[in-house]
Amino acid sequence: MSFLDHKEPPRREERLGACIAMSDTVGSLVKKKSCLLDDGERAFSQGSICLMLPALAILNSIPDSVVLVHGANGCGSCSHSQNANTRSGSMHRTGKGKDAIWLSTGLNEIDVISGGEVKLAPAIREADLRYKPKTIFVVSTCVPGIIGDDIDGVVAEVQPDVEARIVPVHCQGFKTKIWATAYDAVYHGIGRRLLDEPGESGYATGLQGKEAVIAREQQTEGETAQVHQLETERLQRTVNLMNVSSMGRVDELELERLLRDLGLEVNFFPVFASPDGMYKMTKAALSISTCPTHDDYILKHLKEKYDVPYQLKHMPIGIENTNQWLRDVAVFFGLEARAEQIIEQEVQELGSALEEFKPLFAGKTVFVSAGEFRALATAQLLMELGFDVRGIRSFHHDEFAEGEYEKLARQAKTDFLINIANVQPFEEANLLQKLKPDLFLGHTNGNMTASKLGIATHVIYNTGLSYVGYKGAYELARRLYRQLRNPSFNINLSKHIRLPYRAEWYQADPFRYIRTRGGRCHE
Amino acid sequence: MSNQVFVERPRYTCASGGAVATVTALPGGIPILHAAQGCAGNFAWTQNGAAGLQVGGYCGSLTVPSSNVQEREVVFGGVDRLRQQITHTLEVMEGELFVLLTSCVTEIIGDDVAPVVAEFREQGVPITFAETAGFKGNSYAGYDLVLQSLFRDILERGLPLQKGRVNLWGIPPYQDVFWRGNLVELRGLLEKLGLTVNSFFTTEDTVENIRTASAAELNIVVSEVYGLEAAKVFQEIHGVPYVTTALPIGPAATEQFLRKVAQALSLEPTVLESVIASEQRYYYRTLEPLTDCYNDMDLQRYTVVVGDGNYAPALTRFLADDLGWLPELVVITDSHDDDRKRALTLTVKTLTSGLKPHLVFESDGSQIISHFHQIWPSRQNQKYKHAFNPAFVVGSSLERELAASLGAAHLSISFPVSNRAILDRGYAGYRGGLRLIEDLLGVVIAGR
Repeated sequence: MSFLDHKEPPRREERLGACIAMSDTVGSLVKKKSCLLDDGERAFSQGSICLMLPALAILNSIPDSVVLVHGANGCGSCSHSQNANTRSGSMHRTGKGKDAIWLSTGLNEIDVISGGEVKLAPAIREADLRYKPKTIFVVSTCVPGIIGDDIDGVVAEVQPDVEARIVPVHCQGFKTKIWATAYDAVYHGIGRRLLDEPGESGYATGLQGKEAVIAREQQTEGETAQVHQLETERLQRTVNLMNVSSMGRVDELELERLLRDLGLEVNFFPVFASPDGMYKMTKAALSISTCPTHDDYILKHLKEKYDVPYQLKHMPIGIENTNQWLRDVAVFFGLEARAEQIIEQEVQELGSALEEFKPLFAGKTVFVSAGEFRALATAQLLMELGFDVRGIRSFHHDEFAEGEYEKLARQAKTDFLINIANVQPFEEANLLQKLKPDLFLGHTNGNMTASKLGIATHVIYNTGLSYVGYKGAYELARRLYRQLRNPSFNINLSKHIRLPYRAEWYQADPFRYIRTRGGRCHE
Repeated sequence: MSNQVFVERPRYTCASGGAVATVTALPGGIPILHAAQGCAGNFAWTQNGAAGLQVGGYCGSLTVPSSNVQEREVVFGGVDRLRQQITHTLEVMEGELFVLLTSCVTEIIGDDVAPVVAEFREQGVPITFAETAGFKGNSYAGYDLVLQSLFRDILERGLPLQKGRVNLWGIPPYQDVFWRGNLVELRGLLEKLGLTVNSFFTTEDTVENIRTASAAELNIVVSEVYGLEAAKVFQEIHGVPYVTTALPIGPAATEQFLRKVAQALSLEPTVLESVIASEQRYYYRTLEPLTDCYNDMDLQRYTVVVGDGNYAPALTRFLADDLGWLPELVVITDSHDDDRKRALTLTVKTLTSGLKPHLVFESDGSQIISHFHQIWPSRQNQKYKHAFNPAFVVGSSLERELAASLGAAHLSISFPVSNRAILDRGYAGYRGGLRLIEDLLGVVIAGR
């Protein structure tokens, strides 16, 4: 039985043995197997995010859709920041910036007692009538999770009366510490509800169907065969490129450029992808991930159910990583020679372009914090640029990243710190005060600690900026060069603003609140 | 409201989020969330996208201590985890005021936090708590609940009354993106009247002054809808009366505000009159050089005003009575009970300019255009038509599509404000009125 036969995807803690609280060094970590890692919990913790946030980041981008958050009135207000991405993302792709449409059922005290299902059905019906979307994503949150609302039951009951396809997405924040479960939750919904080809399931409108019939009738048999042949050939070199909102359009274009150079056609899923076109991911010759943390759930499903093979290794951030990523794609299609030509030329051009920045970077120490794969890949790029990596903090750890630690351990001049933390800036403040790096790269809302300590900073993830491929390597270097030339904003802050930690805390063991519970049996 | 089965793009976060924002704006304020791990991030991302680029503060954003309860606590209860979290928070965090905030999950599972907080208070820890489950209300409710908790637990009881001392609130930090500038301006005006002011959230405010705020002669709530429950609690516990006024923007409303305060405190009329005269002189002499261009460029505008219970009436009044614009439709986007709706309606319907804008209570931005069409029928095919132009939409950043469809200029003021950078800009008071004129006209002439 596949995971997708269930209403909800499993937690990553169980599915992948992912862990969330740990400290180690890169040299020591590579000698372990992830199933043996000592996971733990923190006896003091700061807030972070839950799976609902990245899930909404994807769903809010999907055109012709509305997102109905079933929960209390504030759940999903993170959409206000995601809306900026939806606006700029649709501007870059369609020339028109559009606000996302997210709605809240606004569960109140009475609903908590008497159940929220009675609100959900009319909300879905009204959303369908008012916005006429192709898809309604019903996102369930903590409150319906605890009071036991049967979201899927309501959806099943309402669907026959509703034009839009309704996709339940389960996001009970208290259920998993690994917010990367968000990707599974969204892919679970898409996989269960949106992969049928319109028409196949009687979904296509009459008009579309008729046009297709007329078009077919007007073709001769020979023409039909020819069209079919061309279509087959096209699909044989069409790939799915997965983007769960960790790349902006500028990064998509960089990867598309490289894959087109190989002679491939690229479709991007799921962000900004039309709900009616999602089924196309079942027809491609290959699915390519840019981040194994994101995509394994859907790629394995596409392989199992639709026989679409996948590539789930290497993130194309960093020069060698991009080379490897591209090579793996080329090997699949037997295009190795072409790939080597591209790589040779790209690496040569990029290498000369980076010369300008390298003297400033040489020997500067850097600390990186982000989602695991992104942090590790970016650390490799920073090493390639001449930085000395002193520490990496990843939001969680799972088996996909094992190879990345090996790469880093091989390249590292000296051993350095690895800390697994779902943000937890207090540990970071302590570590940064001790390690005093020259540069810090942190995730969205993750640079404030280093910033207030006066360390030069740069955001490691922002969907408007370029990070990926050869172009991303250059653009990141260019931005770091800019930040390092004048970090006065942070230096001035550090002179006049203090972080909210006691002086004693900086003297303490940064990991004193981690209570190790050991491996997968931590729950 | 056209519909209550859902709220479209709610223009606030939950009570817990409003409470966190409020606590982070207090001097040395440290919120402690007793919540699932994602609540803090949801609030950080909300501010990130909607609060004029202001996120956090001394201990905001993802720095907020949070018990991060999981399925285990949902099943077995989270009180032990909470006690552990508070103990360790006091070891790690340097704060002057700690406020424990509960959430949907921890209230549904029934964690009894009051005794836990009491244990720490008995040890002398400056800590209180507020029950701010998201299902209890929105950001505005969270703001009110935190104030109530301060008044109940942090303010000293039995202090002798100090003449001329007042407390000022009614402007929820971050939820009012211009909170800092608004508070600073109104605080300054009250000081000009000779009053000693505690306003909780400015850099002039201290925990010491908050503790002794119970010695005040009067509480001044510059809102007809926010912070009112707290004012009642304050009066009950400490016996201090309160006055409420609409958020005063510009000379007309600000004069009324000052008079109301002076009357409640029986202040010396000469001081009051001289402050009003001096402020009006500043306002109108500053405005004077605009006269030529205001006329030459025909800068009067039809207006649609969209905002929360503070901003929609206050902006309407300023635009109609001070600036001489034409607000035709006023939309209040958050929900209020009937009493408060009446108060808000009265403010919008008693403009001294005599204008009677159409007022609706509508949470869903996409429905505003249909309200507009009801009051301003389109006459597309007529040769001579009284079109709705030149026009301006003063609202939130969610009104950009509305403004585009009306062919109107647009400025974001009410939450969410995603497309402006706001630090200490404010629109309250006399000087706030001048700022607002600068910002409105700045949009109109941007392409000049």
